[in-house]
Amino acid sequence: MNLYKYASPTSFYPLAGKLIPWFAIPSAILFAVGMYVGFFIAPTDFQQGDAYRIIFIHVPAAWMGMFLYVLMAIYAGIGWAFNARLASMMASAIAITGAMFTLLSLVTGALWGKPTWGTYWAWDARMTSTLILLFLYIGFISLQSAIDDTRRADRAGAVLALVGVINVPIIYFSVQWWNTLHQGASIRILGKPTIAAPMLAAMLIILAACWLYSVAVVLMRLRCIILEREQNASRFAEVNA
Amino acid sequence: MNWPDLSMGGYGFYVWGSYIFALVLIIWEVVSLKQRKRTLRQQQHAQRSSSVSPSVLTGSANETTS
Repeated sequence: MNLYKYASPTSFYPLAGKLIPWFAIPSAILFAVGMYVGFFIAPTDFQQGDAYRIIFIHVPAAWMGMFLYVLMAIYAGIGWAFNARLASMMASAIAITGAMFTLLSLVTGALWGKPTWGTYWAWDARMTSTLILLFLYIGFISLQSAIDDTRRADRAGAVLALVGVINVPIIYFSVQWWNTLHQGASIRILGKPTIAAPMLAAMLIILAACWLYSVAVVLMRLRCIILEREQNASRFAEVNA
Repeated sequence: MNWPDLSMGGYGFYVWGSYIFALVLIIWEVVSLKQRKRTLRQQQHAQRSSSVSPSVLTGSANETTS
């Protein structure tokens, strides 16, 4: 099988269509399993009561917002450096889903903050840097839609996406670098997680569901983008014929 | 199987609010993508019947650059 074949949007289009259900269906199943573990198996927290159950969606959403940003920047960078159109389209397809997860993490964070800290919002390092992440996504999306020439739009978007990557480690380490209201990491790469096993399980299952969901919707959007650009190209060809 | 306390010990608004917001976003994203796709299909149909244009669906790639 020649993998390079799929670097062309035209040949990737049908492949993407075939892949979508393989991500969408397991995603729905894992969401259901994760919710079951989170609400039926995980015990009530002795400090926060049931309010902590927001963690099962809040933390995966925050991670997805950051991961997808990095992924978007990588694809935008590849598209820019190698003039690979499919990679640039992929970056555009990721942006809205990433922005959505970032918004979800901010809203669920606010809903968690009110009962535990007594406020929906504080200009705390982690919250502020996450808000900036949302603005970077919105900036990327609006910059791309403001430029008609797709090649220039991709290039401008890539510059913004790559510069903005600096914000991701800032979000990640913000709880260590600054005195903050936000609690520290529940899961560390080294060492034991600081939360109980069923809580951790529910969170990781929903994280997996979010990943699969993201792949499915990004592929759906990528197919739309391929069609749109193809249509514009053929219309352009007609005008110049 | 123990049913969880639906009032979430008084935190129901915050907990369910979070999950309902997540659900709304997911539904919005999937529905708007399906609509976008349908509109594109219709446009393509109209375009194809009016002129002979290359289409991704037929796989007749007139572009070979990556």
